[in-house]
Amino acid sequence: MERVRRLKLILWTVVGLAAAVATARFLFGLGATTHLSDATPWGLWIGFDVMGGVALAAGGFIVTATVYIFKLERFHSIVRPAVLTAFLGYVAVVVGLLFDLGLPWNIWHMIIFWNPHSPLFEVGWCVMLYLTVLALEFFPVPAEDFSALARVRRFLVKLRIPLVVLGIALSTLHQSSLGSLFLIMPYRLHPLWYSPILPVLFFVSAVGLGLLVVIFESHFTAYLYRRKPETSLMGPLGAAAGWVLIIYLVLRFGDLAVRGQLHYLAGGGWLTRLFWVEIALLALIPLALLYAPQFRVQGAWQWAAAAIGVFGVVLNRVDVGGLADLSRGNRLYLPAWTEFAVTLGIVAAAMLVFLFMIEHFKIWEKRPADPDADPRKLPEFNQVGFTWLGTPAIAGRVKYSLAFVVAAAVGFSFLSNPRAASQGIVPTPVHRARGDVGYLKASPASILTPLWQQEGEKEGVLYLDADLTGYGVTFFHQREVDRNGGQKSCVLCHHMNMPRDKNSGCYECHRDMYLPSDAFRHDWHASPSGANLACVQCHAPGQTRSAANVKPCADCHKDLIPAGATIKIKTYSAPAYVDAMHQLCIGCHAKVAKQQNKPQVARCAECHRGKLDFSDAENLLYRRRALAGRGVVLPPEISK
Amino acid sequence: MTSWIEFGRGPLFRLCFALMVLGLLRILILTSLGIVEAYQRNPDKIVPWKEIRNKTLAWLLPIGRLWKQRPIYSLFSFLFHASMIVTPLFLASHILLWKNAVGFGWPSLPQELANWLTLLVIVTALGLFFGRVLDPRSRPVSRFQDYLWPLLIATPFVTGYIASNAVIGPRTYQQMMLVHIYAADLIMLMVPFTKIAHCVLMPLSQLVTAVAWKFPAQAGDRVIETLGFADRPTWMPKPRLAAEPAAAVPAKKEGAK
Repeated sequence: MERVRRLKLILWTVVGLAAAVATARFLFGLGATTHLSDATPWGLWIGFDVMGGVALAAGGFIVTATVYIFKLERFHSIVRPAVLTAFLGYVAVVVGLLFDLGLPWNIWHMIIFWNPHSPLFEVGWCVMLYLTVLALEFFPVPAEDFSALARVRRFLVKLRIPLVVLGIALSTLHQSSLGSLFLIMPYRLHPLWYSPILPVLFFVSAVGLGLLVVIFESHFTAYLYRRKPETSLMGPLGAAAGWVLIIYLVLRFGDLAVRGQLHYLAGGGWLTRLFWVEIALLALIPLALLYAPQFRVQGAWQWAAAAIGVFGVVLNRVDVGGLADLSRGNRLYLPAWTEFAVTLGIVAAAMLVFLFMIEHFKIWEKRPADPDADPRKLPEFNQVGFTWLGTPAIAGRVKYSLAFVVAAAVGFSFLSNPRAASQGIVPTPVHRARGDVGYLKASPASILTPLWQQEGEKEGVLYLDADLTGYGVTFFHQREVDRNGGQKSCVLCHHMNMPRDKNSGCYECHRDMYLPSDAFRHDWHASPSGANLACVQCHAPGQTRSAANVKPCADCHKDLIPAGATIKIKTYSAPAYVDAMHQLCIGCHAKVAKQQNKPQVARCAECHRGKLDFSDAENLLYRRRALAGRGVVLPPEISK
Repeated sequence: MTSWIEFGRGPLFRLCFALMVLGLLRILILTSLGIVEAYQRNPDKIVPWKEIRNKTLAWLLPIGRLWKQRPIYSLFSFLFHASMIVTPLFLASHILLWKNAVGFGWPSLPQELANWLTLLVIVTALGLFFGRVLDPRSRPVSRFQDYLWPLLIATPFVTGYIASNAVIGPRTYQQMMLVHIYAADLIMLMVPFTKIAHCVLMPLSQLVTAVAWKFPAQAGDRVIETLGFADRPTWMPKPRLAAEPAAAVPAKKEGAK
């Protein structure tokens, strides 16, 4: 049992980590917990949990067909584990799908609102129906232990053959329809994977995989519970799997030849290498192990062949599901650790349920005995307390629960704070407007783009692209000054000054492109290297320190608000840069457009005139200047 | 120092807080399962529910129970518990932090009252510590953690009081906050694994005593078996519970024949 205990401890740890991530995923959404994007909307959860999970569950319908339809009774002992594996596999698929759906609570829509033209509609219905069939197929097993359920059980046993037939039909539909999903994207999937017979390929590989999964699971549980491996029983299954894999290889390469895409096989590049790795793992290595006479009679080699083949087929699903995706372009999608945690957690939880079922219900002819729970075992005394209260019913639960709790806590601490608190908007710090007059004159012409060399001639042109993307607004500063009444008009826009500064730039307070930012820099005031102020110098002593009971800024900063400023400040929260600019400009422009009957003045394109290409050197210069300019800006006469 | 403070109130806080909440939940579930199993194992199914309920409620106010033996200690203990729970939960600054992080808050205590309650916690914690150290009756039954806890709990209260009331410069303030945050993190980390777990186990403690102090079924048989007397004839009646299969005690059957 110690092997099982050790495995369970690891599985509980993984489940704990996944539980923390799951909390964050359902509280804060996909953007906060995954690396998925509009360019890569299907990631690891779809590729592995859903597509791989469905393929792994193929053992259920293969084995029931073998035993109940083809009447090969010697395989009867593996029916129950195989159906259980398939059932848990499908439950894992559904759970994984709920993680990946943006609005998982709308999953029932599919039952009411039909869209029979969509492959996803077929996939969804197949999942629901086949999960129901699997549940009905498996239910008689746990029902054996409850006499109250005897009638239900007898009824379901009578229904067995129809259920098996239905299961085979639904599985065939579902395995292949997962392939049909990708028929819609011939220009997105690499030609080595895309094929018009993708549904057939998916189905055939699922049959092979189903057999391999049964072999793997049989040997793995035999190792865990120290049972005698069913090597002689698994031999014929391995041979059958080998035949299926050969058919798959013929289909796959024949399809490539018919489509005339064979030249990709020697093309080089990482997708070609990926293809060969996949083919080797999926078919070549398992075939070699399953057919070599010295290997196929040994349990360990059967196990190895099955494990490699299973990995290969799952890799094939992940490839089709996104890894072999051509439109990735320059953006490589690498799953976040949270995605791996959830993926592993779902698998671990399914394995825990599997082990639980094996230990508590009649999955095998003989339930695995826990030597510690043997009533004939002599009592062991607790060496610390000298007490003995018997073996707990769930052995090892103290350790398992501790592993779960610690892993969950570590998971919570790894979920980074801005992610957990964000509403999906990434902070975009802003930089000062490009091209103030003195700067343009002083800058060496070599780092200026030709456009700015021209514009620099006309004094007082600013380019407002505070996030330095090149998309911005050309702002004729001097022209605005002249129109609005010369020097007196500064306060129309420059409504607040940094200490000992005049006409501070917008970016000083509106510090983020799309998020409101704090105009008041508390960290600087309370820092020993900044203003070095004690709390009570601003906050009233003896009261809760908050923005509510604080000295007004103007008590110390007399020249904070210039006389005649038209924009009134109500809070310390400065609107986002974009919002501030729009509010400031559009109001005036709309008024002018109406008064002077010039509608073009208020149109977007009046200011937004497309992208300007700045050199890297210039972008870098502004980035550095902007960062150095944070803090208090001293006017030139004081700094000298 | 700023980054250490940020680490203590960011990732480390989340780790310790999650460990405290989940750990307390875990120990509550484990204890409840243990009680259920002990109850199922006992041949004696009589549990004095009414007495347990009355005792549990009575211990909620320890002044009445302990007044005759240690009046001041019991009074201090009660005041310490009450103010220690109320103050950090309803401090306006803490609620503000919650509100900024998760978006919801709850009503807070007036600052003046919170200050007095903080002082009360510090005084009663020191009282409990010295009561334990100076009383010769306490010392033999005290473990290391019994001495440690009053002082450890007082630490964030002392530093928090200084940081929020004394006129100090930013550097001292940051030092106080550093100790405040890390002491609080340490407390949360240790809660589920030490005697402080009584904050959730308290309602069960009387039940454990009532249920667990009974021998399991056939405990006598096991003793006989362990001593090697299984084949001797016994004059004791068979246990009332015959649930265990006959194969479980083969030696005894042979003896009976």
